[in-house]
Amino acid sequence: MLELQHIKKTFGDKVVLQDIDITIQSGEIVSLLGPSGCGKTTLLNIILGLVQQSEGRLLYEGQDISQQSMQLRGFNIVFQDFALFPHLNAYDNIVYGLKNKKQQMSKQQIQEYIDFLELQPHLTKKIHELSGGQKQRVAIARTLVMQPKVLLLDEPLSALDGVIKESIKERIQQIAQQFNLTTIIVTHDPEEALTLSDKVLIINDGSVAQFGTPREIIQQPKNAFVEQFILKQLYIKRHNIYQLFGEQHD
Amino acid sequence: MIKSTPMMKILALPLLLFFTVFLIAPLCMVAFQSMRFGAHYTFQNYSELLQNSAFLQAFLNSLIVSSCAALITTIIAFLLAYTMHFTKVNKGLRFFIQTSVTLPMLLPTITYGFVLIYAFGNQGTLTQLLGSPPFSIYGFNGLLIGYILYTLPIAYVLMNNAMLYIDKQYLTVSYLMHDRPLRRFYHAVLRPMLTTIGAAFILTFILSFTDFGIPASVGGEYEVVAMSLYRAMLGAIVRFEQGAAIAIMMLIPAVIGILLLAYLQRYQVAFKNNKQVALIPSATRDIAFSVFSSVVAICIVAIFAVLLIVPFTMGYPYDLTFTLTHVKAVFMQSELLQDYRNSIIVASITALLGTLLALLAALLNTRTPLKTRRIFDWFSILTNTVPGMVLGLSYLFLFNDSTLKGTILIIVLCNIVHFFTTPYTMAKNALQKMDHTWEVTGQLMQDTWFATIRRVVLPNMKATIFQMLNYYFLNAMVTVSGVIFIVSTETMLVSTRIKELQHFAKYTDIFILSLFILVTNLLVKLVLDYLSTKGSRQNNENES
Repeated sequence: MLELQHIKKTFGDKVVLQDIDITIQSGEIVSLLGPSGCGKTTLLNIILGLVQQSEGRLLYEGQDISQQSMQLRGFNIVFQDFALFPHLNAYDNIVYGLKNKKQQMSKQQIQEYIDFLELQPHLTKKIHELSGGQKQRVAIARTLVMQPKVLLLDEPLSALDGVIKESIKERIQQIAQQFNLTTIIVTHDPEEALTLSDKVLIINDGSVAQFGTPREIIQQPKNAFVEQFILKQLYIKRHNIYQLFGEQHD
Repeated sequence: MIKSTPMMKILALPLLLFFTVFLIAPLCMVAFQSMRFGAHYTFQNYSELLQNSAFLQAFLNSLIVSSCAALITTIIAFLLAYTMHFTKVNKGLRFFIQTSVTLPMLLPTITYGFVLIYAFGNQGTLTQLLGSPPFSIYGFNGLLIGYILYTLPIAYVLMNNAMLYIDKQYLTVSYLMHDRPLRRFYHAVLRPMLTTIGAAFILTFILSFTDFGIPASVGGEYEVVAMSLYRAMLGAIVRFEQGAAIAIMMLIPAVIGILLLAYLQRYQVAFKNNKQVALIPSATRDIAFSVFSSVVAICIVAIFAVLLIVPFTMGYPYDLTFTLTHVKAVFMQSELLQDYRNSIIVASITALLGTLLALLAALLNTRTPLKTRRIFDWFSILTNTVPGMVLGLSYLFLFNDSTLKGTILIIVLCNIVHFFTTPYTMAKNALQKMDHTWEVTGQLMQDTWFATIRRVVLPNMKATIFQMLNYYFLNAMVTVSGVIFIVSTETMLVSTRIKELQHFAKYTDIFILSLFILVTNLLVKLVLDYLSTKGSRQNNENES
């Protein structure tokens, strides 16, 4: 269980985040959703431990981790553009962090991750030879072998195209399930957030606009922002797709 | 890609002609002269040189002192750039470091030597502070410090640009992967920088190896190749053919360096991400690097401070009363004012014509399908390889009997060719980044190719054009090695006058003239920087 208590962040005079107060259960997928500049990446960095919050506390399994360094927290992140080392091949990227661990992971265990992410045929490839989806999976594998307590994903789908997007979405859900891994995803796309996650945190201007399950958000939007900017997009999409298939609904 | 038009060919022809006459032909002439021995053509000049122990010693000296300088410069430049990109430095301090490291670029290298003499000599400013001279400034020490001061800004700018494009997220990844500091440094910083570090070393080595200004002022008894060449051409015993052979020998390290650079490119890794990423906090790191960089910056400022002290005191170091007598005296010497006027004229014409030429070459290279377009890359590599002294010498050989001799024009032409590589590369980079469908769009709108260039392409690279002008102007103002062989008494420039004033020990005048150059360059830089940011700001506004 990860608890964020009254998190506030200011840069100089500018308030970037205000009173973020949520609880995330283990194994849950939670999306941080909001327009660009709303503070969602800052919140991700605060959870990761890269940026220090100005006020408030973070608790993991009841323990205060507010002052803990990024390394000690044991969370891990997959960046939007993957940040794979270009001078190492796919396999060396995957096992990069293992060289620093005292407990050795067995060859078999590593292989399980590789098989799970279907990376066997690509292991000896250079990074620039991989497709977007393959890079994404290598980056996820590199992070998973470190056995993180919480997995953070920064815009995981934005660098991918159409069909791959859907399969990666499925993959993320599988990961969360198989490893009972708490997963936090940053996205600006309402469809992505609402179809991928168990809960969605909608942020507007640094404050919580709504925190709830996709169903709650659709059925009981809390305010005008959620209705206007989140739901409206989905209505238009739905309308267009229905029209495309020649079906009529309300 | 659009088809080639007659306009493109009309533009390409004079450019090709220009480089043939002012780059290829002169170099062939040097090679040709170096083989001449009396009435025969042999390798006699070379074999004499190789048996001449004084020359071999000078060559070895050049190799040693240039390698030492390049090594130290590369390390300092790396640490300075690292401070700027990988640590949190106070804004004011950042500005101070940046300014003091790059400011010496606005001065001729020959000034560096005299500044060193006044800082570290028996009566030097720093000697006074330390009590006794820390070391003898003439010879190896002077050359080493001079070369470091000369090449540090160039290496620093190179590293600074490369670090800008390193993905800082690697540091976070490495940290999350529990890397120890050394492994983190290797994978996230050193490895991505490897090519640039190599390039900085090679470049600073070549610059030091071929520089003339610094050995001319503080070389002392420590003979280097540049001085051997100067003596062969303009010394007491003139031996033109031997000079030509020395010039060719001087090319060898440069050629090897350029080949190595090309080889190093293989290890270059491309990064796409250069967005701002939060740095991992570390007070120890921030303080350590701030202190180191400040010390470097303060040393540079302390050394160059004499430039502001000596000209404005009655009789340094005995009478330190403030005075403008010396400055006024310079204004009374019509000769010196004439030199200054010459310098301004040369630098302005070089900037205008050079930028035009580099721009055209880059345009033809990047945005036309002409078969001859690749040749400009070769010209660029060649101009980068040929040291200024060798180029100037080649002009002396080829144009000595022509009407070009002793004109402002020959100096301008030599400068344009000598400094071609950087402005050409700047223009190429800017042009390559631009959308390649613009010309097609222009054609669809019934524009001619040239009209599209004028109406669309050029307005979108205003900032780059101002930077090119600035680069040419500044370098034309400070170069000594490129023009030392081709100036005449009528076309004397400030930078070459300084060399002459040395014989009369008129150091005060030297410093005042140096200040003239510094102030002029600074003003031009400020104006062009202003225009360039103004230009790009307008572009941004148009885009949004």
